[in-house]
Amino acid sequence: MSIKQVIFVALVIAILALLPVVIKKDNIINLAVYVLLFVSLASSWNILGGYTGQTNLGHAAFFGAGTLATRFLWLSGWPLFPSLLAGGLLAVALALLIGIPAFRLRGVYFAIGTLALSQILYITVANTFPMISSLPAQDLAVYQLAPRYYLFLGVALLTIGTAYVLVNSRLGLGIMAVREEEDAAESLGISALRHKLLALSASAFFGGLTGGAFAFYHVGYYPQLTFGPEWTFDSMMMAYIGGTGTIVGPIIGAVFFVILREFLVLKLAELHLIVFGVLFILVVLFLPGGFVGTWGKIQKAFARRSTQPESRALPSNGRVDSIVDPLTQDEERRLPIK
Amino acid sequence: MLEIKGINAYYGDLQALWGISLQVSEGELVALIGPNGAGKTTTLRVITGLMKPASGSVQFQGQPLDRVAAHRIVELGISQVPEGGSVFTGMSVLENLELGAFVSKARKVKDQSLKWVYQIFPRLEERKNQRAGTLSGGERQMLAIGRALMSKPKLLMLDEPSFGLAPILVQQMFEMIKEINRQGVTILLVEQNVRAALELAHRAFVIENGRIAGQGTGENLLSFESVRSAYLA
Amino acid sequence: MLQPIAQNLVFGILVGALYGLAAVGLALVFGVTKFLNVAHGELLMLGGYASFWLFSLWHVDPFLSLPLAIAALVVVGAVLYKLLFSRMVKLAEGAKIQNTLLVGFGLGLILQNLALRFWTADTRSITTFYSGAVWTILGVRLPVVRVASMGIAFVLIVALQLFLRRTYTGKALRATVENWEAATLMGIDIQRVYLLSFVMGAALAGVAGALVSVGYSIDPGMGMSWTLKSLVVMVLGGLGSITGTFVGGLVLGVTESATGYFLSLTYKEVVGLVLFLLVLVFRPQGLFGTKEG
Repeated sequence: MSIKQVIFVALVIAILALLPVVIKKDNIINLAVYVLLFVSLASSWNILGGYTGQTNLGHAAFFGAGTLATRFLWLSGWPLFPSLLAGGLLAVALALLIGIPAFRLRGVYFAIGTLALSQILYITVANTFPMISSLPAQDLAVYQLAPRYYLFLGVALLTIGTAYVLVNSRLGLGIMAVREEEDAAESLGISALRHKLLALSASAFFGGLTGGAFAFYHVGYYPQLTFGPEWTFDSMMMAYIGGTGTIVGPIIGAVFFVILREFLVLKLAELHLIVFGVLFILVVLFLPGGFVGTWGKIQKAFARRSTQPESRALPSNGRVDSIVDPLTQDEERRLPIK
Repeated sequence: MLEIKGINAYYGDLQALWGISLQVSEGELVALIGPNGAGKTTTLRVITGLMKPASGSVQFQGQPLDRVAAHRIVELGISQVPEGGSVFTGMSVLENLELGAFVSKARKVKDQSLKWVYQIFPRLEERKNQRAGTLSGGERQMLAIGRALMSKPKLLMLDEPSFGLAPILVQQMFEMIKEINRQGVTILLVEQNVRAALELAHRAFVIENGRIAGQGTGENLLSFESVRSAYLA
Repeated sequence: MLQPIAQNLVFGILVGALYGLAAVGLALVFGVTKFLNVAHGELLMLGGYASFWLFSLWHVDPFLSLPLAIAALVVVGAVLYKLLFSRMVKLAEGAKIQNTLLVGFGLGLILQNLALRFWTADTRSITTFYSGAVWTILGVRLPVVRVASMGIAFVLIVALQLFLRRTYTGKALRATVENWEAATLMGIDIQRVYLLSFVMGAALAGVAGALVSVGYSIDPGMGMSWTLKSLVVMVLGGLGSITGTFVGGLVLGVTESATGYFLSLTYKEVVGLVLFLLVLVFRPQGLFGTKEG
């Protein structure tokens, strides 16, 4: 990162840190909490879904596991941070449990398998813990919003920071090599399974941590709430619309989503999901790479204008041989075997 | 009958064909020979419309083919037997042949065509209710060719019909191809088996690295020193 | 002592027929086009609502309105195909499955929320004058509506099989599944084949939905559950076999019923998913699979 970028990030963090000090309105802070929550959730999803290309439709399982563990331990008397850690670790344990058999499944079966898994947990939790989980009176009395906000801020920064470090490390390179061409990576000595499990664990840990923060934040909710598929789907859509496989993408997507939801809730409830659904489809079909990718293409187009035009006058009508990978915006070239 | 001019084709950014031009006249048996990866199959794909060229023209009986969708090529009278035969293994021999006559024109004369194909390939009639997946390699090739003939093509394009066949079957295969040509079907034969192809063909084109490296009659090419040393050593 | 078990078995088979019908629709589309339309459940939901509104507003008998439900879903299916899925025909298989999964998912979300918006979250069901009719054979109760539904499902499956095996178009479909390039060379228009399969899949979902609306109940959120059930059955039955898939539906229905009876009603919902995961990991070709998915 350049100096300019570092300063920019530092500034943003400073502004976010000062937010509850400056603005005393609870509803704004709550909005910010939700933005940060989804930033974490979308970014953690992206670690697996965006960077390894394994579409995880069961991310809510990690979010839910974190909530479950943290809430239970914290309300039992455990201090907060160990409870949060326990939530994250439970999520990782869950991830490793399913990861090893799940990664044996080819592409789409992994996606459906993870969806099935999180649905199983959702229904099971709903039936095992049907009672609402409420904060006991003494905790309610001393409830303060600001610490919750800072917790979510911390989790978000941790998630993004880890994602950034991971991506730019040798491990990250290995992960992306596995995504691009698994067999080739294997032949170079990169264990595909190990790298995928690593990405999965990181994704799960931060999903669980976010869940733990949620458990600390929410006053009363039904335990199965956080296992609901909408958490996965919303995170996934944010990552796609912002731009999967990038650090900034999920952030942009999350901010956009939450703000849009706030704006539309005033008009018509549930409409925001329809809008998002449409946007999502548009991104998948026409704008791979989401906001980030499209912005990159616009920049490239302008850069090309100032130099000479490329001699790529190829018709792109129904070419069987070039496809666009939905997770990056690169065109994959399939060379003929013969 | 078939005329290709200046075809440039790409796989993504990789150029596979560089200014390919060739002609096939009615009644001829023309061979397209060359090493692996030279672009023979790619050329066929451009003709049948499975691949769109970046530039150049393909004309069949005076009509340009570049606006014609791939699935309409057979209506115009061009039939291709793809590499490896590509029979529908889950379906019976008879069903495969019937599908060859899918286009409505051919469907009407289906029974006649079946008789004709059975005449050339009696083995297919014996096995007509068997699943195509149970046939041997040679029989599958025969089925693939027979299936292509069911549309009563004017031009039959064969992509390496001898591939993977035992030598004695290769001989038989080429006999049958010669017979088909004798019965009036123009043939464009893509082959790696250079000797057999050149002995069979009236004319041939040599393709190397996506370019036409030479052309001539079958006999002439057989006698060219360069061809001999490159392919027949 | 035997009666409750037999009763359970029967109920399982009756609902399993609808699982099978829905799953066959999805399997047909996936088999031919390799599109994994996860909005399949929402199409089923639309069929249910079509039937419901035709009955509620214009008193059309739900069994008589089946052709109308089919027509509605054919139109919806064609529109969705042309608008969304036709763009993905030329992709390589891996990308095709992935992208259609995503698009289908977005579509499902849209349809579900549109239904929620226009028709509220209320659960609906059609009650006709014969809804309470029951045949009793050997002490086992057979609700007439559900038996008729199973009969219809069965007839449709047989009709589909005949179509695929005896007609030229059906054979063209099968050929496309095997080798679309060779099929193209034979003059088969792949776009039309894809469209036909997609529309047929939607129609089957629509019929299943209509039958669910009269024999059971519908609501805007039912889509995902039915998509998952269809996927479970598809995997159980093994791809490549219409009959196998239908039988897989029956298997799921019976398994659910048995779990509900012997364990608890709540685990009835998850047993299918658990079975699904087990099959995926240990026997990916399904119980009756003829070829790999």
